Amino acid sequence: MLIKREFETVEMPINVGPQHPSTHGVLRLVMTLDGEQIVKVDPVIGYLHRAVEKLSENLRYQNIPHLFDRLDYVSAFNNEWPLAMAQERLLGLEVPPRGEYLRVILCELNRIASHFLFFGAFGHDAGTATSWMYGFRERERIQRLFEMVSGYRMMHDFVVPGGVREDVPEEFVPALRALLPVLWQGLGDCNNLLTENEVLVTRTRDIGVITGEEAISYGLSGPSLRASGVREDLRLTEPYSVYPDLDFDVVLGQHGDSYDRYWVRMQEVAQSLRIVEQALDRLPGGLVCTPGLPKYPKLLKLPVGETYARAENPRGEFGVYLISTGGDRPYRLKIRAPSFCNLMALPRLMEGHYLADAIMILGSLDVVMGEVDR
Amino acid sequence: MATFPFAGVLKSLWVTLRTAVRKPVTVQYPTVRVPYAPRMRGFPALIWDDAVGEHFCTGCQVCARYCPTNAIFVTMKNNPLNQTGQSPRRKIVNQFYLDYGRCIQCKICVDVCNFDAIEMSHETEFSEWDKRALIFDVRDLLHMEALANPRTKQVVTRR
Amino acid sequence: MDLLVTLAVLTLQIVLLFNVVMFIVLALVWLERKVLGRVHQRMGPMRVGPHGTLQSLADGIKLLLKEDLAPSSAERFAFLLAPLLVFAPSFLVFVAIPFTRDIVVRNLALGLVYFVAVSSLSTVGMVLAGWSSSNKYALIGAARTAAQLISYEIPLVLVVLSVAMLGGTLDLRGLVESQGQAGPYVLWQPLGALIFIMAALAEVFRPPFDIPVAESEVLGGPMIEYSGMRWGLFFMAEYGNAFAFSALFVLLFLGGWQGPLLPPILWFLLKTSAVILVFFWMRAAMPRLRIDQLMGFAWEVLLPFAFLNLFLTGVVQLYRWPLWSLSLLSLTGLLALGYVVERGRVTWRRSPSLAS
Repeated sequence: MLIKREFETVEMPINVGPQHPSTHGVLRLVMTLDGEQIVKVDPVIGYLHRAVEKLSENLRYQNIPHLFDRLDYVSAFNNEWPLAMAQERLLGLEVPPRGEYLRVILCELNRIASHFLFFGAFGHDAGTATSWMYGFRERERIQRLFEMVSGYRMMHDFVVPGGVREDVPEEFVPALRALLPVLWQGLGDCNNLLTENEVLVTRTRDIGVITGEEAISYGLSGPSLRASGVREDLRLTEPYSVYPDLDFDVVLGQHGDSYDRYWVRMQEVAQSLRIVEQALDRLPGGLVCTPGLPKYPKLLKLPVGETYARAENPRGEFGVYLISTGGDRPYRLKIRAPSFCNLMALPRLMEGHYLADAIMILGSLDVVMGEVDR
Repeated sequence: MATFPFAGVLKSLWVTLRTAVRKPVTVQYPTVRVPYAPRMRGFPALIWDDAVGEHFCTGCQVCARYCPTNAIFVTMKNNPLNQTGQSPRRKIVNQFYLDYGRCIQCKICVDVCNFDAIEMSHETEFSEWDKRALIFDVRDLLHMEALANPRTKQVVTRR
Repeated sequence: MDLLVTLAVLTLQIVLLFNVVMFIVLALVWLERKVLGRVHQRMGPMRVGPHGTLQSLADGIKLLLKEDLAPSSAERFAFLLAPLLVFAPSFLVFVAIPFTRDIVVRNLALGLVYFVAVSSLSTVGMVLAGWSSSNKYALIGAARTAAQLISYEIPLVLVVLSVAMLGGTLDLRGLVESQGQAGPYVLWQPLGALIFIMAALAEVFRPPFDIPVAESEVLGGPMIEYSGMRWGLFFMAEYGNAFAFSALFVLLFLGGWQGPLLPPILWFLLKTSAVILVFFWMRAAMPRLRIDQLMGFAWEVLLPFAFLNLFLTGVVQLYRWPLWSLSLLSLTGLLALGYVVERGRVTWRRSPSLAS
C-alpha cells in the first residue's frame, strides 16, 4: 500500500564549529542549510580574544611589539611596522635609509611566507595535502632566514620606532641571495600544482563573487579587494617608506571570485620577490636605527597626540590608531585588523552557495583569527 | 590559460612526479639536528665569571622589573668575595628563579641587564611532567649551554 | 565425507585469502604514506620498524586499544552493523579474483557480475552508518555517498560489459586468457580504460572523488562517529576496495598475470602495484570535486561515453572489423571526451547565483 504524505523539508541549522578542519583558527559559522544550499550564515568570533588592546594600555611601548607579533601570527613583521610608524609620527623621527630598506626586505619576505601559507591552506581545503607541504616547505626556508636575523622564526619583535632593532648579520645577504632562486622555483612548483588545475578552477570559478563597489562598501582590503578589480594598494596609493623607489606592479583580478583571490595572491608573491631583489641591490650601508632613542631600560616617552598609521599587510590594510597623553604607556591603542573587516563580507559571499563552496570562500579570504579576535 | 584539455591536471601530475624524485627536506629530529643560527633565542642562562670565580649577576633586579611575564625572581646579598678584595662586585646574586613556563624568550632581560650577566642560550628542550619543575634556580641556569660569550669566551657544558 | 573435505579445503582457502588480503591492505596503507611522503618531498613513516614498515601494525594495535564509543542517540543495532556491511563486501570480491591461472579460490562463471554486484553492497553499509550516527554531517555525507556510488556504478558496468563483449565471456580467468591472444584490452579500448579508472576512483572514494568522506574537508562523512577498530574496519575496507578495483583493472585491461620472463604472480602484483600507484598519484595531485560537479561528470560525461564505448565495441564485433579499428575509434572517443570536458567546464559547474 502506498503511503502518500506531504514531504515537508526543513532548513537544517548546522555548526561549522570552532574546531575547524582548516587552519584558519577558531571561527564558528552558524549556518542554516536547505539541503546543500546555504540560506543564512552567521560567523561567531571571539574564541581567540586576548585583549591585546586593553593590555597595551598597561604596557610600556617597548613591550607592546610582543603582543602585536601575536595578532597576525603568520606575518609578524608586518604587524610591528604600523605600530612603529605611529610612534615615529608622534615623535617626529626619521628612519635612516638602511633601516627602511631592511624593513622593506623583511616585510616583503614575510608577505611571501604568508602567501605560501595561504597556498598551503587553500589547496588543503580543496583536497590536496600536497599543496600544504609545498607551501610550508617554502615558508620554512624563509623562516630559517628570519631566525638568522631576529632569533625567532615567527615572533620577531624586531621593528622598533626609528628603524630595526639591530643590523642583520653578515651571512644574511648572501643567504638571501642564494634563497631567491629557490623561492622562484618553489613558486613555479606551486603554480604548476594548482593554478591551472582544471579541478581547482571548477571548484573556485564564480564562487563567492563580489563586485568592486560592494567590496569597498564592505570594507574589504588587500588581495581580496584587488581581486575584484579595485586598484587599491597602500604601497602605491599612499606610499610609505621606500616603496616609491621600487618598481613593482599591482596585481588586479577581473571577476572577484575565489579563484581570482587565489590568483592575485600567487602573483603577489612574484611581485614581492621582485621587490626583495631590488631592495637587496639597493641596500645602503649606515645606521639601522635613528640614533639617540632611549634604549632599554630607559623608557620611551611619547609626546601628547594621536595618529593613525597604516600599512599594506598580506591580508589588507593594517592600521594602528594611537592616542598618547604623554608618558611611557599609550592611552588607547586601537588596531584595525584587515581580517576582521574582510570577515564581515562572509555572509554576503556565502549565501546561496553550497556547503563545500563555503569552505573554499573562507579559504580564499585568508583570515587569520589572531587578527580578527585580537 | 589551458592549451589543451586536461593541461592543468597534467601539469599537477607532472610537478608531483618531479618532486617525488627529489631528496626529501625532512630532518629526522632528534637523531639529526638543524644547526641553529647564532642569534637564535632559546631560554636564558646566567654567565659565570671565570676570572673571579662567581656570577656576573649582582642581583640588581632590573631584568625582573622589565620581564613582561614576571618570570624572574631575584634577590641579592653582600658579596663575601668583595670583602676579601677578590671581586669588584659589592653585591652578588643570592636567589635567582626563572620560570621557563612563563618565559616567552623575548630577550628583554638580556637587553636591560647592566652587567651582561644573562644571555639567551640555544636550549629549548625542557619538557617536564610537572610545571613546577620548570622553575630553574641559579645553579641550573648556569649549566645551560650559553652562547659563546665574547668576553669570557666560554661555552658552559650542558647539564 | 567428501562434503566435509570440500568444506575444510574451502575454509582453509578463505582463511588464507583473508590473511593475504589483510596483509596486502596493511602494506598498501604503508605504501601510500611513503609515496605521498615522497611526493611531498618528505619521508613518510620512518621510526616504527625499518623505514616505518611496522607503522600499519602499530596503528592497528592502537585502534584495537581505543575506547569503543557510540553516541547515545545513535541507533545501536544499525550503528554496530554498518562497519561490517562495508567491510565484508570489500573482502568478498576477492573470492572470485584469479591472481594467476591457478591461484583462485573459486573462479565463478559469472565472476564479473559477482564482482560488480558484491562491491555495490557497501553502499548500504555507508548509508546505514551515516543515518544511524544521528549526526548532521554524517547524514549529509551518507546522502552524498549513496548518490555518488549509484551514479558511478552505471558507467562502470557499461565499460565492464564492453570488455566482456570483446572477450566473449563473463568469467574473469577466461577474459585474461582471451587477452593472451588478442593482446591487453587497454590497447583496443583506451576510452573504456579511462572511464573505468575514473569510475573506480569514485567507487572507492579516492580523490578527486572523495568529497563524501571528506565532508568539510576532514570530518569524514558517514564515518565521523566511529572510533577505534570500527573506524579501522572502514579504513581497511577502503584500501581493500582500492586493491580490488585495481586488480579488476589489471584483469580486464592489462592482461592479468601474463608476461614474459617473470613468474605470473609477480606480474600480477607488479601490474596491480602500478595501478595502485596511479591511484596514489591522483590523490597527491588533484583537489576534490564538489558533489554536484561529480555527479554532473558521471551523468553527463562518463555515461554517454560509456554508451559510446559499448556501441563501438558492438559494431566492431558485429561487422567483424579488425581490432585496431576499435582502437582508432576509441581514441577518437577519448579526444571527444577531452573536448567535452573542456567545453563543459563552463556549463555544468552550475553553482547557484545569489539571485536564485
